[in-house]
Amino acid sequence: MATRPAGRRWRRAAVYAGLSLWAAVSSFPFLWMLLSSFMTRGETLRRALWPERVQWGNYAEAWREASFGLYFRNSLVIAAVQVGGTLLFSLLAAYPLARLRFRGRELVFGCVLATLMIPESVTMVPNFLTVTWLHRATPIAWLNSWPALTVPFMVSAFSIFLLRQFMRSQPSELWDAARIDGAGHLRFLFQIQLPLCRAPLLTVGMFSFIGSWNALAWPLLVTNTPDWRPISVGLQQFVSEAGAEVHLQTAGACIATVPVLVAYFLLQREFTEGISMAGLKG
Amino acid sequence: MGAAISALWSRLALGILTAALAAACSEGRQPAATADEVERADPSGQSLVFWYQHTRERETALLEMIRDFNRANEYGIQVRGEYAGDYDAVYNKMIVGLQGGTVPDVLVAYQNQARAYYAADGIVALDPYIDSPRWGLSDSARADFFPAFLQQDRVDGVQICFPPNRSMEVLYYNRDWLRELGYDHPPQTWEEFRQMCRAAHRQPFSRAQPGCRSLGLLLEIDASRLASLVFAHGGDLLSASGDAYTLDTPQMRAALGLLVELARDGCLEQLGEPYGDQREFSVGRVLFVLRSSSSLPFVAIAVREGGLDFQWDVAPLPSVSGTPVVNVYGASLAVARTTPERQLASWLFIKWFTEPEQQARWVRASKYFPVRRSTAASLADYFAGDPQYHSAYRLLEYGRSEPSVAGYQQVRRMMQEAMVGVLEGDDVDRTLAQLERRANATLVDGS
Amino acid sequence: MRQSTSESLTAWLFLAPALCVLGAFGLFPIGYALFVSLHDWRIRRGALLGLRHYRRALGEPEALLWFVLGCLLIVVVARLRGSRLLHRLSLGRCQRRAALALLLGLGLWLALVPGLRGLCATGDPRLYNGLRVTALYALATIPVQLSLSMLLAYLLLMSLRAKGFFRVVLFLPYVTPVIASAVVFRSIFSPDPASLANRLWTWCGFGQLRWLYESRSVVALLLRAAGMQAWPVWIDTFFPSLALTSIVVYNIWVYIGYDTVILLAGLSAIPRHYYEAAQIDGASAWQSFRHITLPLVSPTLFFLSMVAVIGTFRAFNHIYIMRTAGARDSVDVLSVTIFDVLFENHNAGYAAALAFVLFAVILALTALQNRVVGKRVFYGD
Repeated sequence: MATRPAGRRWRRAAVYAGLSLWAAVSSFPFLWMLLSSFMTRGETLRRALWPERVQWGNYAEAWREASFGLYFRNSLVIAAVQVGGTLLFSLLAAYPLARLRFRGRELVFGCVLATLMIPESVTMVPNFLTVTWLHRATPIAWLNSWPALTVPFMVSAFSIFLLRQFMRSQPSELWDAARIDGAGHLRFLFQIQLPLCRAPLLTVGMFSFIGSWNALAWPLLVTNTPDWRPISVGLQQFVSEAGAEVHLQTAGACIATVPVLVAYFLLQREFTEGISMAGLKG
Repeated sequence: MGAAISALWSRLALGILTAALAAACSEGRQPAATADEVERADPSGQSLVFWYQHTRERETALLEMIRDFNRANEYGIQVRGEYAGDYDAVYNKMIVGLQGGTVPDVLVAYQNQARAYYAADGIVALDPYIDSPRWGLSDSARADFFPAFLQQDRVDGVQICFPPNRSMEVLYYNRDWLRELGYDHPPQTWEEFRQMCRAAHRQPFSRAQPGCRSLGLLLEIDASRLASLVFAHGGDLLSASGDAYTLDTPQMRAALGLLVELARDGCLEQLGEPYGDQREFSVGRVLFVLRSSSSLPFVAIAVREGGLDFQWDVAPLPSVSGTPVVNVYGASLAVARTTPERQLASWLFIKWFTEPEQQARWVRASKYFPVRRSTAASLADYFAGDPQYHSAYRLLEYGRSEPSVAGYQQVRRMMQEAMVGVLEGDDVDRTLAQLERRANATLVDGS
Repeated sequence: MRQSTSESLTAWLFLAPALCVLGAFGLFPIGYALFVSLHDWRIRRGALLGLRHYRRALGEPEALLWFVLGCLLIVVVARLRGSRLLHRLSLGRCQRRAALALLLGLGLWLALVPGLRGLCATGDPRLYNGLRVTALYALATIPVQLSLSMLLAYLLLMSLRAKGFFRVVLFLPYVTPVIASAVVFRSIFSPDPASLANRLWTWCGFGQLRWLYESRSVVALLLRAAGMQAWPVWIDTFFPSLALTSIVVYNIWVYIGYDTVILLAGLSAIPRHYYEAAQIDGASAWQSFRHITLPLVSPTLFFLSMVAVIGTFRAFNHIYIMRTAGARDSVDVLSVTIFDVLFENHNAGYAAALAFVLFAVILALTALQNRVVGKRVFYGD
């Protein structure tokens, strides 16, 4: 029996109201950041709500002061490498954990998860020692260069975990059919499973990108020179001992946030591709 | 055959045991450089790395000064300055560097951090360099330093780091508002201070926005503020011998009692947001602000751009003894343990940086305070242009510093908890007794 | 068998690159932390101390023993319930239940009274405060976060106009730089009478509160509002402080977008024809949700709940930024305490020991969660 049109409209209105409320709550700090980036310092001090005149100069000054051009390029390259590595290694690792049977599978999965459980302040020193040793022992430069900034985070236990969950929820007939056709595991993974994993792969890629983009403590540790410093370090320039220049800090933060938002905006449809909940309309 | 194997095993066991013992023995500290070594060392042509935490204008000025040093110094020493992050990041990098990475030659460090580096033999004592006839400070130069500044960086009789600049805690006050309340000078006694705070609460600033709250003091819960108050009441945090905390004292009670009383009268409130007191001060809602002098430039801008542009100045807290007592603090420079030549070159850089000419230059750029008295001679025009800075400058002579003992950082947190507790109504006697007991416990086990 | 060995080989080959990196940068640090925690390690390695740091942190070994015994007993009871061992003994149903209840009671008593209480009395108060605050934080955050994000994900899947817009806006909290969101939330939860939280609160008819600067628990404040002047200590111990609650709100705000995005990805895998078939059969929206959506999204939900537990127990950044002196130690989760020990006390050895205790707690919780919840997850076919 179709629901009454009035009840249906009421429900839709409620849905819209709820989502709008949540949208307002989600966006106001970002809006504050955006508005403050166009204010003068005096206006930020007076807690003004709107800038009287749009101060485009803040952006130019922030860009100049914090070497944003160089740092931007660095962040992009670092993020690209890290995301690429994460996607590849996590996919390769999640597959046997989800689909293959071998001795020690649960133990390996447990070890993978265990790497998530140790607090960060304690892992920085050993990781730095490892990277320093690699820098000295291998012909590649690790410190002050992209390897130290990307490789330690290329394998993310989150990503392996998420992909494994996803793959396990897929029907196993897929593999049976492929095996009958003579495909090996490698071909199956890349030709059949990979296209199906689009949504979780994009999710993994997105979070890996954000993690790389916003990382601060580790890049500060492994870069002594500005050559490979990422943008998060640039933002630190506006924080000083006795006061923050809010108008410049927010301008810098806006510049730093734009790529992430653009990437997410372009990809957000992909996350939800294939969804059509016909039964839930109205 | 069996005998050979058992011999092998026993030799192996002995080897392992020795290695384990060697590993288990804590590494001792290498002795400080002897006077002879220092005299003989040759600093020429050394390349140094300097880790700092300054950003923006201060960084630009610092890098310029470093460039000038590289050009002009007679030994051909080349210094490379590197932005290493904030104080925590520098500390992180240093402890990692001390365990197998790279260490710089000169780095910025707070006293407790320098202490930790020194205990791990990561930095060197500076006395051999300061006392050296050839490379060190002359008697007149040494007398030129404000005594409290050098003293603060001495631990157990050893100079473990050296001050490049200092800041102090001052009382910012709104002069126009004070005049409206009927006073023509900053508070000279604590009773006057109380009266002024109450008056400010009753009679808001005429130019402030009506309808908002009006306070005498907006207090940041910070151990340095409490220390300033205790110093101004004639007390100290550490015993004269330096081996016990003295936190349950009449002066501490007086300081806390003052805060409680003002809070009860409604003219004191705890700070709710970082830099909130600066902001409220700049819009005329707070009469007094107790803060570091490094906020001077920010307060100046805030007052100007806040729209009210009133007259303001800085003063020391009222003192019970007649002469002012101000809490001075700041990060210092430490020299890492590298080679005798590089250590000497590092000291020469620090010595150059603390000469009056360079100090005057650094002061103009950074708005910090210099560590040598004779700097004032070249700052006449600067004083004229920045009267509040001049007011604060005159107080450098009366500096006193907080303890530099190990574990003080944790005691700071305990002091802050005590401040909050007392302001929320906890029993003062019990709080202070507990505070002193717990603070002295950190001295025992080093925590 | 040849097939299973070749499958084994393939599996290990696939895992090799990831395991190399994880081994070097994920597992080695754990081993290193253990090594550090066994020494007096300030900046450089000092004397070998063995388990002395752990003893100082955890407390008397006897108390620990009782605690472990008590927990083991509880595990035994759980195992016995499902097994046939008890049926073999010719006991009646009531007698079986009584025996189990007795054993359970004994286990709980052992774990709590000589165990936990003894540990708290003899161990480091900073550790136990850290664990307590972390547990409160997790309990307050996780259920709210997961249910809200489930609701949001569900709402976002309905065919609506401006779907894309809502999905982008929802993700904003997660991408807004922490400096910006922290400043805004600190200003919202400021004790200033003009702060947003206070204005809302007074508009609802209540008095002003100190929010991020309030170390008393929410229940204590309620009691105070009701007129009570004093209350038992456990009111402040077992409930989160107002400061912690404010931080919880902040964290939920940040991470809902993250959870929702992941849930959306999981929900997108559910084939549409299931819903169509259900609609043909006349199922209501709630029935579709309960019998199709929930089971098929349970792998993702399980992932999220595990990640949430691990994440909240490890949480550091957002909490550290919102910490104030006024909150005293009511917001000091264990990660923050570890950071303090490292950066203020300069005691790397002790910090590593605390980190290892935290690691063990998270490991135990995850194993427990895996066992209890993991069975209910529905995988594909």
